[in-house]
Amino acid sequence: MDLSYYRPDSLEAALDFLHEYGNHTCILAGGTDVMLDLRSGEVKKKYLMDITRIEDLKDIAMTDKKLSIGTLVTISELYGSDLIAAHAPALQQCSLTFASKQVRNAATIGGNVAHCSPCGDTIPPLLIHEARVVLASKRGSREIPVEEIAAGPYASAFAPDEMIVRFLLKPAGDMDLSTFKKIGRRKALSISRISMAAMVKKDRDSRIDFVRFSLGACTPTPRRFEEIEALMEGEKATEQLLWETGRILTDQMFKITGRRSSAIYKEPAIQGLFFRLFSPLV
Amino acid sequence: MKNIYRSIGENIERFGARERVKGEALYCADMEIENALFLKILRSRRAHARIVTIEMEKALDISGVVKIFTSDDIPGINLMGIINKDHPLLAVDKVRSATDPVALVAAKTEEAADRAIDAIDVVYKDLPAVFDPEEAMETTAPKIHEKGNILLTRRIVKGDTETAFQSCSSIIEKRYETGMIEHNYLEPDAGAGFVDDDGTLVIYASTQNPHYDQMEVTNLLGVENDKVRIIQAATGGGFGSKLDLTVQGFIGLALYHLKQPVKMVFSREETYIGTAKRHPLKITMKTGTDARGRLTAMKTTIINDTGAYGSYGIAVTSRSAVHATGPYEIEHVDIQSHCIYTNKPFCGAMRGFGTPQIAFAHESQMDLHAEELGLDPLDIRVRNAFSTGSVTATGQTLETSVGIGDCLKAVKPYYSDAVKTWMNTPCEPYQLRGVGIGAMWYGIGNTGTKNPSNARVEIDSKGRITLFTGAAEVGQGSSTILSQIAAESLNMDADRIRMIVGDTAQTPNAGATSASRQTYISGKAVQQAAQKLSNALKNSAADQLGVDVSLLVLDSEYVQSTQSPDTRISFASIVRKISSKNSPLSFDGYFDPDTTSLDAATGQGIPYATYAFACQVALVVADALTGEVTVEKIIAAHDVGKAIHPENVIGQICGGVAMGVGFALMEEFEPGKTISMKDYHIPTFADMPEVESIIIEAKEPSGPFGAKGVGEPALIPTAPAILNGLAHAFGRRIYTLPANLERVLETSIQAGKFGPQ
Repeated sequence: MDLSYYRPDSLEAALDFLHEYGNHTCILAGGTDVMLDLRSGEVKKKYLMDITRIEDLKDIAMTDKKLSIGTLVTISELYGSDLIAAHAPALQQCSLTFASKQVRNAATIGGNVAHCSPCGDTIPPLLIHEARVVLASKRGSREIPVEEIAAGPYASAFAPDEMIVRFLLKPAGDMDLSTFKKIGRRKALSISRISMAAMVKKDRDSRIDFVRFSLGACTPTPRRFEEIEALMEGEKATEQLLWETGRILTDQMFKITGRRSSAIYKEPAIQGLFFRLFSPLV
Repeated sequence: MKNIYRSIGENIERFGARERVKGEALYCADMEIENALFLKILRSRRAHARIVTIEMEKALDISGVVKIFTSDDIPGINLMGIINKDHPLLAVDKVRSATDPVALVAAKTEEAADRAIDAIDVVYKDLPAVFDPEEAMETTAPKIHEKGNILLTRRIVKGDTETAFQSCSSIIEKRYETGMIEHNYLEPDAGAGFVDDDGTLVIYASTQNPHYDQMEVTNLLGVENDKVRIIQAATGGGFGSKLDLTVQGFIGLALYHLKQPVKMVFSREETYIGTAKRHPLKITMKTGTDARGRLTAMKTTIINDTGAYGSYGIAVTSRSAVHATGPYEIEHVDIQSHCIYTNKPFCGAMRGFGTPQIAFAHESQMDLHAEELGLDPLDIRVRNAFSTGSVTATGQTLETSVGIGDCLKAVKPYYSDAVKTWMNTPCEPYQLRGVGIGAMWYGIGNTGTKNPSNARVEIDSKGRITLFTGAAEVGQGSSTILSQIAAESLNMDADRIRMIVGDTAQTPNAGATSASRQTYISGKAVQQAAQKLSNALKNSAADQLGVDVSLLVLDSEYVQSTQSPDTRISFASIVRKISSKNSPLSFDGYFDPDTTSLDAATGQGIPYATYAFACQVALVVADALTGEVTVEKIIAAHDVGKAIHPENVIGQICGGVAMGVGFALMEEFEPGKTISMKDYHIPTFADMPEVESIIIEAKEPSGPFGAKGVGEPALIPTAPAILNGLAHAFGRRIYTLPANLERVLETSIQAGKFGPQ
């Protein structure tokens, strides 16, 4: 297969190219997924557009009370950013356990989201921050919630002439818990079998006042579980509450996916990880 | 303690280290050979089927395709196998596993070869297949080979087991299972070749056994031995898999017919499907002890699933039987070990040959007895461990170098401290700590068969020394070790010795780089050759200097008098005097350890001349909520006889521990499912425990400077120690490897550790 390579120097040039050839173009950001798909023959496009030289897409900033993260910010840069540490600690935690050091140095947040893997590690933290994705095209730009990026596993829902330019996150504010955890088959370079992100703020009575929770790698696309959040709000974080809520979470998960052979492990493990995720509150 | 040696025991720079660091080592995949054709294999994708027709017309029409070979093109005997010959290079009439090679394409480009593979149309008629070795043993099972599905049953019988069990205080009987394992060496299998001016087929290969490759290729092609020359290229690991022919036979076949240079490089995916795996074992082990925990009786049945072909299956079957007792003396023994064909991809040699699997069983049994009798796990091992004069299951009396007692003693302070202190340091909630012990013994060299090594040392008229050895250096360090042994024997610097390694046109056959045998066996052959040279130099110097030979020593390439160091003569001067035509002087060394074959009915005999021993302690933390396991630390005491290169021994131990962590917790090759390193998990650095290595030196008199071996022993105790640690943590045991997330979490649930108490 002949693949032509194109490297625009500006967003404008990139969008021009997509406008013309979007249907036949695969975008290369960090390349940590694309290179594998190229080798296995899964990428069947004419053009490879390398956007790594577009400087405008590499910044992390607080603007309009939103944490703005450029699509080309690498996972290592997420981990090293003071702004991320202050306003999105769960995202910072996820970037410490993401793949391996070498992959973290190349992989980008935009690529991780756009690849639409059910196991994408940055997605659960983005979900708890109710992140909005800024999509740009020659037709203009628009914002959509991060959960609407994927139509299903490895299938993006945005138009071929569009690309992700940045993410806008609600900053965490003062939280009692802000966390990300995942289970893999080994301690580095493993695809998440289960991932979870959560933020919790307690009130003066130690009741859960504010909670955000998301689950990755279990459903066709990672998702926030507002029903689970509702069950926890206003409650004291007891071991019993966490254990029972974790149980309900597994039921809700199986309602979405049906019971597959992996359920024998995932059923207790989701409950166990949920318990571990929130146990610092007890 | 001051080192009494000049080179032995010194951590000299590794042979070939610089060229590897600088990227200059020449691996086959990097060889650029003009006009080389690419070779690709068409594999069956059918577990068991008759081949009706192979249609090649479409494939031959593809531009760039030069030739397609089938079994009809093989001029010699189309059967391979180092122990039993049952493995065709290209399938004849039927295929026995989904990875059997059916046709070989030679093409001008890799792409054309790939397209040709897709265009070959093979018509099969499926045959009933069997994948479970126990089903394969039944008389009604589909026959995979003409002679049936039982390749070998090895029995070891000593004493009266049934009667002995009647007076046991503690009897434990359990069934253990281990999975199929991929070696996962860094360098995928590769080779290249051309036809020399005199018609010799020259084959470069990534291999562990160049001299065997030569014999096998000549058999396949029906040509004289000297018509095939195998040169070992830089080899990036093997772990046993590169003992079988991988690319060599195909390259030979193409060279034979086409007389044109060829190259063959496996992708990672092809190394996964196209090469041997570790045998999965099913082990039923029953052991009995007296009231004080002394083992008195063992009855064990082992089923070694060798897949479609024998490869090293017979060796694995014998070795798992011989080692079933562990490093413990048991008077009454009844062991049956079966080597069974199934329609799975074939299994062969992998680091330890069945011993890592059987050690999982015998070490679990030891802990179960300790628990039942209320004994300390370390104490019960000390009580049963071999010592000088002990008799093994095969009736062999261990007379020298029995270091297991010292290994157990060495880990004791660490073990006691771990149990007393580390166990009681706080963990995260719902995390459990456990401390486990694993001990092992390992016979050095092949089991009850001849396994000689030859070496040659030459000195030229300039006094330069060259060591010729067929011993394949695959990253384990044999070239360094052998140069140290030669240097010590000649009292000179090791880096002054030129090494010629693994080239059948130049080197003497040293046997396989396997069974942890190169230091012990090839080391001894090298020592002997170097000693002969040393004697010759001294005798000649005695004449030339007029000094009695008993008063002469070698020092830094001179022979000198012990009385007056100024009375000396250089190696070069000596050689010029005694070598008439300035031709080099050559000295051969040979060593074949004293063994006997095992009796067919009782398995009695002396399978190995010496054994390595080890004990490891694992400190593990298990997550009762998720099944995740962290191995925090491994304390590893290994009796190596004598550490020729201590850093290299530690390197082997750390590498073995890494492999052991994988075997214990995460590695499992599932035929048809496992495709590449994306879905086959080996430990990363993040999974590695801290390793405290302790070198024990119980000298082996028959070994070079007392050395034995450590390559495989390094791996063997790790998984048993980790599994015993997990059992300690949960109070419940796992009997199937790997102890992956699923099995550990299930254990946690069954142990009542899952969730709020």
